[in-house]
Amino acid sequence: MNKKIVTRITIVSFIVGLMIAVQYNTVQNPTTRDTRDIWAIRQELSEEKKRHSELLSEIESYNDLIEEYENNEKEQQADLLENTVEDLNEQVGLTSVTGPGVILNISPAIELINSGYSIENISPDLLIRLVNEIYHYNGLYVEIDGQRLTHTSAIREINGETTVNSVPIDTEVEMKVITDSYEKAEKLYGYLFASTFKDDFYLDNLNLTINKAQSDITIAPYDGKLSSQYIVEDNKGE
Amino acid sequence: MWLPLLGLILGLGLGLLADIQIPTVYENYLSIAVLAALDTIFGGIRANLQQVYDDKVFLSGFFFNIALAAGLAFLGVHLGVDLYLAAIFAFGVRLFQNIAVIRRILITKWEERHIKKDENTV
Repeated sequence: MNKKIVTRITIVSFIVGLMIAVQYNTVQNPTTRDTRDIWAIRQELSEEKKRHSELLSEIESYNDLIEEYENNEKEQQADLLENTVEDLNEQVGLTSVTGPGVILNISPAIELINSGYSIENISPDLLIRLVNEIYHYNGLYVEIDGQRLTHTSAIREINGETTVNSVPIDTEVEMKVITDSYEKAEKLYGYLFASTFKDDFYLDNLNLTINKAQSDITIAPYDGKLSSQYIVEDNKGE
Repeated sequence: MWLPLLGLILGLGLGLLADIQIPTVYENYLSIAVLAALDTIFGGIRANLQQVYDDKVFLSGFFFNIALAAGLAFLGVHLGVDLYLAAIFAFGVRLFQNIAVIRRILITKWEERHIKKDENTV
């Protein structure tokens, strides 16, 4: 075959390949159009701003901690470490906590029981939804019927009974929630009061009573053993 | 014979890596242009095998076909008639014909070579 012809065909096929690739790219990943209006964008921006400031304050607190570690003498460093451990214990749920918060009571609806309806267990799905909403609205620590919720706590049905931390709960339950500040507790109260949770519980023949925010609530520590599969103690030291 | 294939693969790879995208509005035009270009390539290969290849015809055909196809699609969009279907049909039929001719020529060549080999061994 003539060399010149081959070169020509090669160049043209190169262009064809390029065109096919571009077409493929265009068909495979269609560019999604931005359909948000200016208000939606502003809202998103304000959310990101909030997150930004949260992260900044977190960084600041860690920087303070590092500074404290660096500035102090060796003996004091041990104290600081103990403080950190205590902090972490509190966060995980191994110490009792006192603070402002809200108390919720769940009990069977008496008028329904009097007219012959049966008492049902509190549905775990509903309880999980309630707990999630509480965490969403700045609830820090939660206790259900004396059971402290930790990051590994399970709310589920075992043999027809609703359990928290694998301990069956009563049909009459007191739920304690602790928040950062009294203001946040009031906000949580307001949110829960306005939510549909009362109706949701009433569907299961249960009454949900939401008590006003209190300034002093004590939550007991988690009494089980926390198992961590992934964190391993490092004995190397310095 | 392998050089054009290499060119095609090179173009494909480059295009995929570069991750160029065109606006969705022009997608139709590009698809027709690709078809026209493919038709030209196979036409060129066939002409070469039949020894009637002409540089001018090949290159002018490449660009003219692409422009014509895209122009027809453009006109179709503005007239509200799917004229690009005409281009697709025309190029599709030609593509099949060209490939069929190439296949026949290659088979004939292969058979001739086979016969020659047999004669040599005898």
